[in-house]
Amino acid sequence: MIMTDAPAPRLVPVNAIFADDIAEILVAITTADTIAEVAGKVAHHSEGKRVRARDAEKVVYHNDRILAPDQTVAEAGIAPFDHVRVDYAD
Amino acid sequence: MLRREEWQGIVRDVDWTPTYVDDDALYPEWMSGGGKVPREAWKRWEESYKVSYPEYVATQREKETSAYAVQAALKRSKAFETLDEGWKSSTKLHFGGVALVEAAAILAELKMARFGLSPAWRNMAVFGALDEMRHTQITLLFAHEFVSKDPQYDWAQKALHTDDWVSIALRNLFDSSMGGANAVDMAIELPLTIETGFTNLQFVGLSADALEAGDVNFSNMISSIQTDEARHSQQGGPTLEILAEHDPVRAQWTVDKYFWLSARAFSAITGTSMDYYTPVENRRQSYREFMEEWIIDQFMRTLKDYGLRRPWYWDEFMEGLDTWHHSLNLGLWFYRPTLWWKTAAGVDEASRAWLNEKYPNWETIYGDKWRVIAENINAGNIPATLPETLPWLCSMCHLPNCNPSYGRDGKWRVRNHSLRHDGMTYHFCTKACRQIWWEDRDQLNHTTFVERFLLGEIQPMDLSGALGHMGLTPDVMGDDAHNYAWAKSFAPAAPGQTVPAGGE
Repeated sequence: MIMTDAPAPRLVPVNAIFADDIAEILVAITTADTIAEVAGKVAHHSEGKRVRARDAEKVVYHNDRILAPDQTVAEAGIAPFDHVRVDYAD
Repeated sequence: MLRREEWQGIVRDVDWTPTYVDDDALYPEWMSGGGKVPREAWKRWEESYKVSYPEYVATQREKETSAYAVQAALKRSKAFETLDEGWKSSTKLHFGGVALVEAAAILAELKMARFGLSPAWRNMAVFGALDEMRHTQITLLFAHEFVSKDPQYDWAQKALHTDDWVSIALRNLFDSSMGGANAVDMAIELPLTIETGFTNLQFVGLSADALEAGDVNFSNMISSIQTDEARHSQQGGPTLEILAEHDPVRAQWTVDKYFWLSARAFSAITGTSMDYYTPVENRRQSYREFMEEWIIDQFMRTLKDYGLRRPWYWDEFMEGLDTWHHSLNLGLWFYRPTLWWKTAAGVDEASRAWLNEKYPNWETIYGDKWRVIAENINAGNIPATLPETLPWLCSMCHLPNCNPSYGRDGKWRVRNHSLRHDGMTYHFCTKACRQIWWEDRDQLNHTTFVERFLLGEIQPMDLSGALGHMGLTPDVMGDDAHNYAWAKSFAPAAPGQTVPAGGE
């Protein structure tokens, strides 16, 4: 067995919206998810379903700032019930 | 024999002079709600249209006879079978959303009949209670006739007993305006704001659409109800007049708050019914046109008559007339398994032309979203048109946060409206819902469906658990009203066009 001091990832339910979709939705992410993974989890519910998919990079906004894609949710300080916006990079 | 005019003025003003208890015990503040208004001021309370009990009974008997005669005649016809499935959904939404609200309104009227601060008001409220009893009965009976043909009609009886998210939203509005309110606030919230204003939308506007759609039975039923609303809704005017004179701040807030919350609820119920569920060839007016003619003009006159100001949220409200019900319709359609009616997309070619004529921004905001959905349907990818998570529901009105606005960034986007309180983040559909929640947060006691989910009250914590919690079974779960036929009117995706990233 490999012992590690890293805490187990915790569930972080967030209020999220993708691009110009028509509704904010509940998305479950974890503290260990990278921001790139968060973008994918949010987009999963909208892209190609209500929002036309574009071949473009996605960016994640939290508290009016763009997060680095390789950061984790814990590092970015995203807390349960926070709002996260995912959009295509202009 | 005295003529009515000779005795009624005395009879309707008969009051008790208590000797064993004081007035505060008979009319406690928490039930009567007199507040800053001096007790004597309520003696001026006067309804504009007076009625005696014998007249009331005779008129109601006529209405009942007429409504049931039409129903009996139509029972022998095939009228029901010829109705459009989308239109039927308007009626299912009405039956489920309204029938037991009428029952709750009996208790609301009885509260005013007992705790109203003028004998004339209490008298009028007794008629109101009898009215609401009739409305409950007639609505349940008319729906019951169709239960054997379609089990979704059973939700006339069931909907408000469940924790379906739409039911919770309606309970949140009506528990607050009827169950929890004192008599004075209630007279302004219910008869003045909801019944003088918004029931016109559902009972007059939808009645006209019902006739156009060939549903004589439904039109007959709601027209019969509306004649009562027009009478007992008079309780609002005299109450507001007295309150506005002695406590204009409270009068303004109560009107503003319930106009807003009613507008939110009716955009979901009536907005979708008028602009999407009613077949396009049967629509008399758009929802926006109807709101402007029947609600806004009248509301502005009411404000002026009582010396009140235009609500602080007016610009946000007017902008919402072009988006709220369109977003809700798309959302309701996408979340159709969570409903007790079959949602009509209402976006076939003719409907889109009509929507674009009535709402110039419709194509910009909604056109391509429906196109993406249609492309998935046409590709046989129905799973991509069904939800895998919950929409975030507004902590105030309990409807989805789905109201796009045009921002300084030059984009139509749903903007986040949130606040933190006691270590918790709350999200709202609009700035006005957030403001109302903040001002009256101690009065609110319903948690939204999403909050219940996150608190672990819904198990298992997935969509099947959510549907179970809502009381939905496969035989009543909503689906597309027209078996997706409308999607054919959209061109298939162009070669090379990216369609279902979330699809196949």
